[in-house]
Amino acid sequence: MKLRTAVPVALAAALVLATGCSPGSGGDAVSAGDGKSFEFWSFTGINQKASVDDYKAKHPDIEVKLTEVGSSVETAQSLTTALAGGKVPDLVLIQGDDLPKFVQQSQNFVDLRTLGADGIKGDYLDWVMSQSTAAGGEILGIPTDVGGMAVAYRTDLFAAAGLPTDREAVGALWPTWDEFIETGKKYKAATGKAFVDNAATSVFHQSVNQGPQKYYDDKGGVVYGSSPQVKTAFDQALKAVDAGITAKQSSFSNGWSAGMAQGQFAAIAAPSWMLNQIRSNAPDTKGKWDIAVIPGESGNWGGSYLAIPKRAKNAKAAWDYIKETQSPQGQLEHFVDSGSLPTTPSVYEDPALAGHKDPFFSDAPTGKIYTASLLGLKPFVIGPDSSTIGQEFLNAITNVEQGGGDPAKAWDEALKNIKTAIGK
Amino acid sequence: MTTTLAPARTAPPAPPPAGRPFRRIGERLAPYAYIAPFFVIFAVFGLFPLLFTFYVALFDWNPIGDHTFIGMDNFTRMLEDPRFWNAAGNTVSIWFLSTVPQLALALLLAHVLNHARLRFALFFRMSVLVPYITSVAATTIVFAQLFDRDYGLLNWLLGLVGVEAVDFTQSTWGSHVLIATMVLWRWFGYTTLLYLASLQAIPRDVFEAAAIDGASGWKQFRHITIPSLRPVIIFTVVTSTIGGLQIFTEPLLLSRSAPLTCGPIRQCQTLTLFLYEQGFGQFQFGYGSAIGVALFVLVVVVALINYLLSTRIRAER
Repeated sequence: MKLRTAVPVALAAALVLATGCSPGSGGDAVSAGDGKSFEFWSFTGINQKASVDDYKAKHPDIEVKLTEVGSSVETAQSLTTALAGGKVPDLVLIQGDDLPKFVQQSQNFVDLRTLGADGIKGDYLDWVMSQSTAAGGEILGIPTDVGGMAVAYRTDLFAAAGLPTDREAVGALWPTWDEFIETGKKYKAATGKAFVDNAATSVFHQSVNQGPQKYYDDKGGVVYGSSPQVKTAFDQALKAVDAGITAKQSSFSNGWSAGMAQGQFAAIAAPSWMLNQIRSNAPDTKGKWDIAVIPGESGNWGGSYLAIPKRAKNAKAAWDYIKETQSPQGQLEHFVDSGSLPTTPSVYEDPALAGHKDPFFSDAPTGKIYTASLLGLKPFVIGPDSSTIGQEFLNAITNVEQGGGDPAKAWDEALKNIKTAIGK
Repeated sequence: MTTTLAPARTAPPAPPPAGRPFRRIGERLAPYAYIAPFFVIFAVFGLFPLLFTFYVALFDWNPIGDHTFIGMDNFTRMLEDPRFWNAAGNTVSIWFLSTVPQLALALLLAHVLNHARLRFALFFRMSVLVPYITSVAATTIVFAQLFDRDYGLLNWLLGLVGVEAVDFTQSTWGSHVLIATMVLWRWFGYTTLLYLASLQAIPRDVFEAAAIDGASGWKQFRHITIPSLRPVIIFTVVTSTIGGLQIFTEPLLLSRSAPLTCGPIRQCQTLTLFLYEQGFGQFQFGYGSAIGVALFVLVVVVALINYLLSTRIRAER
């Protein structure tokens, strides 16, 4: 029984540790330290060690203490605890989904403009920069990479269904989401099998990001219920469910991984980092995949930012690291090493990137395809409750798709749940 | 006997060594020092968090932002929040589905393991404890795979006999059964051993006498085993109730599309998971603490019922 009580006690203890002291203590002045060493928290699976080792090789006099805290969510939680009253790192990597909560409490971070971020902010995609810029204009993070967006599809399954297999021709099948769903119907009619993994992440989550306004208007007011892009994306997802073209496999679930290996679905919305997931989930399908443009042509899913906590002791050394490794050239080198997509459009034409081909995906020019999907995106306002709102919409769609929920009531249910969750 | 061995009662005890007060004080304090580590650790990691949770529950508390005193607002909001009542209902349902079969199964198993003619008794007695020492996370991941809709072993077997695949994680009852099965699997061995221990305290002649008098196995179970186990049954009911109110890891790891709510319609979100979602997902530490206080009150009520029941049982004896 001791073990059973241990969980809530641990939760309570974590709650206390995280609430122990008041945040933002300490003055506004950035602490420079000796400029020779800094502590860096990253998360697993993104191979920051390679960048750090490179940096150390170029600067033998600088000591970088890299800690891979855990998954991206665990890293954000540890950061929260640290900001609330513990020892903070000098540099921290934050995943895009976790970022808004920190941007809302911008007093916890160094405004990078004080270190010279104004001079380099033009190097990065404007909509990516806007997500790490607080309401008062403070720049809190420099983007390290983005996901981009495309559709990965199985050429063998497409051929069996009588669909074209060439990536240009496949992209031409679906300039819009409606045509994507029509293609799915054709595939289903020919094979009797599902076309795409699920409606929530592969349709709604992509389509909703393709407009100039999402859940908040330009003044920061919540407009999730009246924003046309949101309703359109929601209806498109329900239409895909209704057409029966989804395999009802939630992303990253066990069934999803197994379905990918077994060819349960032929297409999947795939940001650049998803390619590694496909590679590891379905190693036997090597060469049977290709990559085509996403309906609506643009999209992004994922990406991370480097930030410096306000109480960091060695902010200067951390900033030097950011400036060098996240320069357009630095990001290009990281792409060549690890495949992370740069956030700096100036290198998108570089042969090292544009000429990159992936043999697992029928030699698709991944660098070219993914960077092209980033250029059409527009900045939209991300608010404190954006991720909660998005999750409720995704839940409503998943419930219709997999839980037998009534599609006619799904929209109203989602709005009601959002209102319960965020109070407005 | 006493007259020869016991020292004379009249002999005065040795006088306390005079003039050494420090040693006397030291002797008096030493026991407290010995038990202090537990109480210090309990105060730091048990009592203080508990009291502090009550304090935080009165605030609109962002861990890295503002703390605003709002009095009882978190509690009134909680009582009006359908998500809270949904989580409470799920918790009770999962507790019931896991506890009742678990105790019944453990009772039967303990009875069997106590049987005089059982071979390799020690092996069986030890092996029931294996699930208990398996990591909860590992258990959850394996069970989720066994119960998977399209690729799970269970649905494959169902498919062999022509039953349509069941999606355990998406429906309310299915997810509750799935979580209850995990809890049951993990805890029934532990409960079995508790029952077995107190069964072994019953003299074997009682069973033998009953057998000679012609009582069947079931009659022995009904009239000897169960009555003599009554105190430990009450104990296990209470402890598994307290544990059942705090189920957390299983629902958290079950749904990959919406882990913090255990699925799109919160179909298996328990109270502790709701607490976690509000505190660490939404950064509403005040509201999360209020849910923690509600959970605390629930557990205290259960403990009180336990106290009343066990004093009654003692009085009956």
